[in-house]
Amino acid sequence: MKTAIYGIGNILLGDDGIGPAVVNYLFANNILGDDVTLEDLGTPSLDLPNYLTGFDRVIFIDAVAVDAPPGTIRLFSREEIIAAPPGIRISPHEPTINDALIVLDFAGGAPRDVVLIGIVPHTLENGMNLSPAVGKAIPRAAMLAHALAS
Amino acid sequence: MTRVTIDPITRIEGHLRIDVEVDQGKVNKAWASSTMFRGIERILLGRDPREAWLFTQRFCGVCTTVHALASVRAVEDALDLPIPINAQYVRNLTLIAHALHDHIVHFYHLSALDWVDVTQVLKADPAKASSIAESLSDWPNNSTKEMAAVKTKVKALVDSGQLGPFAHGYWGHPAMKLAPEVNLIAVAHYLQALEYQRYANQIVGMLGGKTPHIQNVAVGGVQNAINLDSEATLNIDRLYQMKGLLDKVVSFVQNVYVPDVCAVAGFYPEWFGYGKGVTNYLSVPDLPLDEKSTKFDLPGGFIPNGDLSKFHAITGQKDEYWRKAVTEDSEHAWYKSGGALHPWKGETDPQLTDWKEDAKYSWVKAPRFNGQPAQVGPLANVLVGYAAGNPLMVKWTDAALGKISSIAKVQATPAMLHSTLGRHGARAVRTAVLSELAVKHWQLLTDNIVKGDTTIFNPPTFPKGEISGVGFHEAPRGTLSHWVVIDDGKIKNYQAVVPTTWNASPRDASGAVGPYEASLIGNPIADPQHPLEVLRTVHSFDPCMACAVHMFDPAGNNVAKVKVL
Repeated sequence: MKTAIYGIGNILLGDDGIGPAVVNYLFANNILGDDVTLEDLGTPSLDLPNYLTGFDRVIFIDAVAVDAPPGTIRLFSREEIIAAPPGIRISPHEPTINDALIVLDFAGGAPRDVVLIGIVPHTLENGMNLSPAVGKAIPRAAMLAHALAS
Repeated sequence: MTRVTIDPITRIEGHLRIDVEVDQGKVNKAWASSTMFRGIERILLGRDPREAWLFTQRFCGVCTTVHALASVRAVEDALDLPIPINAQYVRNLTLIAHALHDHIVHFYHLSALDWVDVTQVLKADPAKASSIAESLSDWPNNSTKEMAAVKTKVKALVDSGQLGPFAHGYWGHPAMKLAPEVNLIAVAHYLQALEYQRYANQIVGMLGGKTPHIQNVAVGGVQNAINLDSEATLNIDRLYQMKGLLDKVVSFVQNVYVPDVCAVAGFYPEWFGYGKGVTNYLSVPDLPLDEKSTKFDLPGGFIPNGDLSKFHAITGQKDEYWRKAVTEDSEHAWYKSGGALHPWKGETDPQLTDWKEDAKYSWVKAPRFNGQPAQVGPLANVLVGYAAGNPLMVKWTDAALGKISSIAKVQATPAMLHSTLGRHGARAVRTAVLSELAVKHWQLLTDNIVKGDTTIFNPPTFPKGEISGVGFHEAPRGTLSHWVVIDDGKIKNYQAVVPTTWNASPRDASGAVGPYEASLIGNPIADPQHPLEVLRTVHSFDPCMACAVHMFDPAGNNVAKVKVL
């Protein structure tokens, strides 16, 4: 099963960098098999389908807008991800994970097995540090990604 | 009088907001605002200038490569550091591949739905669609069988009760006018474009080490080790692998993208009459051909008031005409107003108020060129190239105008390019020009390597005291410039004046409106609840505003809100 783990988020905007931070943690600890693709995708948009095509399983790690204390981890299924309806787009930034999956479901080549590990941020202000509560979630999110990838 | 606000609200994320005042079915006033503070440059203060590019390419997820390049060019400019010719060619090829990918995606995956009504595909005759497509070009993937397969795919989607990737289109809108067969061709090519843009992106990855976030640039050159005898470096095998991908992309651009834009334009000739806006055009030279960046394959310059005969060339980053002309004004932006400031003296001190149409209403500053607003982007690039007599720009512009004339049965002229459709046409022209230049720069690089030159890097040394530099790049969305001040080898000030800042500029102290704002004046609005026409004009600029947060929102709040008062 061809598997990818992708961190999503902007490392210059505080806790939005949690996805890339978890990816860096996984790199540093070298606990994944060589057959798992691990990448910090930053803030992809219309190019995201390029990184999904050809994979059977994709695990995203991203900041998530839910009402819960900072550092809380929530899992979202493929169905939950694509349930968020696409809206009018003004810039190429709006399309994100759900749009990429919807496009590939139509065009062909979408991964079947998709899960999003969402971490609730505390602040998205300019800055390159994670808030303490969010930083503490890194090992838990990494272990979860590891478990989901095996 | 009706007031329409399009605001892609999310709880936290900031975006482009457009407000228009509609009177008797036409826009008579417009405001463009960014709803998010953009002060990312402040993260760079005090850092090592050699590392700045690693951070700047995180400004934006769409434009990673371009911010990396503008940053190293700015530092090299401050140091007066030439870079080896191999490094120029590698960078040029990377930039072109990125632009090819970006322009294809912009048209098919962001803008096409403004013009294409996917539900009309069900009425299309695949054989007729195939024959129309084959009359436009020699592209091999336009067969009746191909068109019928796409129609079946669309039917399955419609029958499922959902429109998948097309759900956010304004299908069924009265302003949609393409024949069913042309809609079918467009959807077929939408699917093919997904494949071909990927090849362009793969070239960026091969040169950049990875994508997104290329790893191969450095202040002083590139990090692509060249060794014809090593498997791990840039060698002949890799060069030919890239050439194989490039040839596919070039063919798609010339045989699919350009004819498709001409065909859509031919069905909507009235849109050559809307969206004119600011006709001062700014474009900087790019694709340097020598180590000191004094000769370029793409010319740069400034055109005042749409008058091509008044074209003033910009000869390079060192050109004082360019270096002195750029300022930013915060009169209507949420920063402390300190008058029009040169970017080396630029300040980024927030001063947030309510959204006030006659006072401050945007996080975007107002960049000005010699005190005037300027439109940037592919249209500026093409008009500047045309005015400068650049042979490739002239060739492809004339070819596109000829094709549009034959489809629309009107005489298309360069003057019609000052419009919403003109911007789409110019983007296609620029992409075709870049597709030819991609092959040229691949050849230049290959020839130079085969000759035995493997130099890729000139090490930088930083002097004591203060130096400043500017790095520019004619990016997919237009003129991008990074302005850096370095003191004792550390960054003292850093300002990125990005293309969308020029185009989404708010009013300035004199009240002069920015390009988006000006371009919306006079646009028809058939249905204020569904302001498709506003999106057509705004999308034609290819806005890239939210260099920003990307948070997953399970409530689906990436839906733009249209508010009509």
